[in-house]
Amino acid sequence: MRSFIISSSAVKIDRYYDKNFKELAIESIKDLEKKISEPLEPEALIISSVAVEHLDKQSNIAGIIADYLGLRNIRVYRVESGEASGLAAVQIAHSLVSSKAVKKALVIGVDKLSDMPNAKIAELYSYLKDSDYIQIHGVSPLSEAALLAKIYMKTYDYSYEDLFIWPFTMHQNSPDTPHAQLRFKISPDSYKESPILAEPLRLLDSYPFGDGASALYIVSEDVAEEYDVNVSIEGLSSSNDVNDIASREDLLIFSAVRDSFIKTLKMADIELGKLKYIEIHDNYTPNAFIVLESIGLADRGKAPELLQDSMIGSAHVNLSGGLKARGNPWGATGVYQVHEIFSALLGEFKKSVLGEIDYAAAQNMSGCGDVSYSIVLKRVR
Amino acid sequence: MMFERSPAKIWRNRDVLYRLKYSYCRDCKRSFYPPRGRCIYCGSSNIEHRYSSGRGVVKEFTVVYQTPVGFTDMSPMVIGLIEMEEGFRLLAQIVDVKPEEISNGMKVEAVLRRMIVDGETGLIYYGIKFAPLIEKS
Repeated sequence: MRSFIISSSAVKIDRYYDKNFKELAIESIKDLEKKISEPLEPEALIISSVAVEHLDKQSNIAGIIADYLGLRNIRVYRVESGEASGLAAVQIAHSLVSSKAVKKALVIGVDKLSDMPNAKIAELYSYLKDSDYIQIHGVSPLSEAALLAKIYMKTYDYSYEDLFIWPFTMHQNSPDTPHAQLRFKISPDSYKESPILAEPLRLLDSYPFGDGASALYIVSEDVAEEYDVNVSIEGLSSSNDVNDIASREDLLIFSAVRDSFIKTLKMADIELGKLKYIEIHDNYTPNAFIVLESIGLADRGKAPELLQDSMIGSAHVNLSGGLKARGNPWGATGVYQVHEIFSALLGEFKKSVLGEIDYAAAQNMSGCGDVSYSIVLKRVR
Repeated sequence: MMFERSPAKIWRNRDVLYRLKYSYCRDCKRSFYPPRGRCIYCGSSNIEHRYSSGRGVVKEFTVVYQTPVGFTDMSPMVIGLIEMEEGFRLLAQIVDVKPEEISNGMKVEAVLRRMIVDGETGLIYYGIKFAPLIEKS
């Protein structure tokens, strides 16, 4: 059973000191509402957020956001699956709609990382790791990614400068992404002035902390038929790996990313070559290359060599600027990714680069591939 | 007094945190840490729990400057990927040595050190870090 996306929207990722998370969530659906012809009447609201308990001392956020949206007597859910929460929420919405439990589901991803100092956000980010045995050592996805960068460089004989092509490319893409947090280009050697976070990784190898909210309206086939434009969810899946990278037998392939992507393509019944546009989860530079190699866009160790003008083979990757430059407001990130590929299929995002495309995909993970979700969309009309 | 971290949580994990209790799979003969009831490699539940010698080798390491709250006074902090004598690997801090003196292949051993100070009035938690191995003659 398929489900369909008929509208989406995204606020510019930024620092919204004047808005709380509820107001940001409400802001995120304004454009979405304008694009549909009838009042927004979802039967289910699915909220994706990672940090709201810690940043706002708030639980039951799905019920509270529904209240502020004026929605009553509907199903409300909150989804948290680390940085991959956004695409996990989309999968819950798809399940509700395709199982005919509801006909209309509203997904909102929201997080506000600029509400606390950076050290606090770094602490919250370490919560992605097992609190009993990994987090307690001060280990976070940052230190894991730094270790992966060193192993990647030594295994495949790259210098740090070779890997910098990723952040450079992401900042080439972001200036004309309306909702991107960092809408500026950087020079090929700007890393020299970028402070080290965990050697060899520098600030420009990481994502900016920011506030964001993005929304999707996912409906059943009979509802979708009433609309001129719609896009079907053709495939989606997820997979997981051990939480600590130390125990992985193969550190340079994210098995959760690989497995979830294979399952998603199988469900969509298409080959990888059909995808002309993919948004991937590039929380750190080495992770971007490992993801590209894990989903099969490049052979092992070849992604930095093959990446040219944000393309690998026939696929454009991260035209939004990716987490690196568009931004990574944790629980909202996967929803932003789907908003981008949905808009691209409608010809409303990066059309000058992509032209008309039929299929696009997104991949959203937590940490260094601890869990990963993926989705394939198809333009129906 | 407000605790950010539960003292009971540290106490119940004492064998894993302080004695490096790990799992050994009798079926696929592989070891892993922290211990689990099923093998993370083959899925078998034919598992026994063992205790590590505390000695290992640095496979890779990084010097971390953006440290989380609770670790900021340790910055820059070295996190190492350490392969233990028993074959399992873990991530932990490397101490008692300057970062520029650490190299891959360096032998290290577990030492008891302060891990986290829980705010200004909270408890001080101790745990295992790794220091260069001192060979005993």
